Amino acid sequence: MKKQLVNMKGTKGGFVLHLDDQCAYVDLVEELKKKVSESGIDSKVDVQLYLGYRYCSDEQIKELIKIVQETEQLIVSKVQSEVLTVHESDQKRIESQQDTYLGVVRSGQILRSPGDIIIVGNVNPNGRVEAGGNVYVLGKLKGIAHAGVHGNKEAIIAASRLEATHIMIADQVQVMSDEHVKAKNQEEMTCAFIGYDGRITYDQIHALKNIRPLLNVSKGGS
Amino acid sequence: MGEAIVITSGKGGVGKTTTAANLGTALALQGKKICLVDTDIGLRNLDVILGLENRIIYDLVDVIEGRCKIHQALIKDKRVDEKLFLLPAAQTTDKNAVNPEQMKSLVEELKRDYDYVLIDCPAGIEQGYRNAVAGADHAIVVTTPEISAVRDADRIIGLLEQEEITAPKLIINRIRQHMMRSGDTLDVNEITTHLSIDLLGIIVDSEGVISSSNKGEPVVMDPTNKASLGYRNIARRILGESVPLMSIEDEHRGVFSKLKALFSR
Repeated sequence: MKKQLVNMKGTKGGFVLHLDDQCAYVDLVEELKKKVSESGIDSKVDVQLYLGYRYCSDEQIKELIKIVQETEQLIVSKVQSEVLTVHESDQKRIESQQDTYLGVVRSGQILRSPGDIIIVGNVNPNGRVEAGGNVYVLGKLKGIAHAGVHGNKEAIIAASRLEATHIMIADQVQVMSDEHVKAKNQEEMTCAFIGYDGRITYDQIHALKNIRPLLNVSKGGS
Repeated sequence: MGEAIVITSGKGGVGKTTTAANLGTALALQGKKICLVDTDIGLRNLDVILGLENRIIYDLVDVIEGRCKIHQALIKDKRVDEKLFLLPAAQTTDKNAVNPEQMKSLVEELKRDYDYVLIDCPAGIEQGYRNAVAGADHAIVVTTPEISAVRDADRIIGLLEQEEITAPKLIINRIRQHMMRSGDTLDVNEITTHLSIDLLGIIVDSEGVISSSNKGEPVVMDPTNKASLGYRNIARRILGESVPLMSIEDEHRGVFSKLKALFSR
C-alpha cells in the first residue's frame, strides 16, 4: 500500500497535520487537498501543520495554509518545521547576542543593536537607544529608549535611573509626562516592560525575575 | 610644531568668540606665539572684539584661494608685542567658500610658526563647524549654565568624539554667582557630570567683558576683573600648570572692609 503523505493526529493541543517531508511538493499538495476535503469535521477546529524536515518558502507555507482553511472548518494555528535557513539562524543568533557600549550616548546620537544592548554610562536627553532585544543602562537613562524594535513585546528596558523622555517597547510608546512621574520618582533601579494590559508598566528591577523568568539564566548562586 | 585648538559650542551667543579672543591674548601674555583663526565666514566678529577691524586687508578666503600669502593676511596685535596674530574671516562670501581639506592644510602651515593656533568656530554643526574642526588637534567646548546651551554642548561633544582629536575640554562661561548659589541655574558640578568631560575652567559673568569688547580690547588686559582671572587661569592650565578652580562665591564684604576700600582709593 502506498505510504500516506498526510497524517492527521490528535494531541492535547488539538489536531496536528503531519506532512511527509520526503515526497515531491506537488504530490503533497495533491494529497493535502484530498485529505482536508474528506476530513468529515463539522465544527471549527484548530490544526497545526508539522512540516518535518521539509523546507518551505513563505509562499509555499501560505499556499498550504490556504488549502487547509478552504474547508472553513479547519483553522491553522501554528506551522512547525524542523529546519531553518542559514539567514534565519544567523538572525536568531544575532538577536540573542549582547552588545556593550562604554560611554555616554549624547544628544543626537543613535545607538542600534540587533540584540540586547548594555550601556555603561548615561543616555543623555535626545540620545536614543534602539535594540532588537532588551536595553540595560548602567547609568542614567535620560533620553529615548526603544526595546524590541522588531516587535518583540517581551523586551524590557532597565536602568539604574529611569528618567527617560520616551520609553518604547515593540509598538508601544510612552511619553514620560506628568502622569508617569510616579515611575520617575521611584528611587532607582527601575525597569519598564509591557504588562498584562498590553501597555508599558514600570517596576523595580528585582521584580523582573517574576515578570520575565525567561530572561534569567541560572548559573550557580544556589 | 604648535598645537591647534578649536573653540566651539554648538549654540550661538555663549561666548566662543570672546573666549577665543581672551584665551589668545592670555596665552600671548604668557609669552607664547599665538595665531587666532576666525572661521565664521560671512559673520566675522573676532576682529571687532580684538579691535583690529580697520586693519583687515586680506582674509582667510583670499589665502585659501591663493590671492595672497598667509603672512600678508595675518594681522599683528600691537598690544601684545609680536606674539598675537589674527587671520580674519571673509565677510562677503559664505561658509561653502572653504572646504575641510583646505582648512586642514592651512592650519598645518600655521602650526609650523605658532605655539598655538586657536580656531574660532561658528555656531551650528554644518559646513562651518566641519571646516573649523578639520585641522584641530584639541577642542574646547564653551557652554553657559543654561539648559539649552548644555543640550547643544552635549550634541557637539558627541560629534567631536567622532573626530580624530583628543577628548574635548569644557569651559562654563557667564556664571551668575548669585543665581547659581540660589539654585536658579544649573551648577558647575551638575553640568560637568551631565556632559562627563573634563572641566577646563569657569568664567563668571562680568559687565567688564561687554564693555571691553565694545572698546575692542579683550577683558584679560584688565588684571583686576574676575572674568579676566578666569581666562588667565584657563590659559595657565592649557600650558600645563595646575591651577585650582576659582570659587564662585563673591566676597561678602562687611561694613569695615567696605569703608576700608573707600579710604584706600
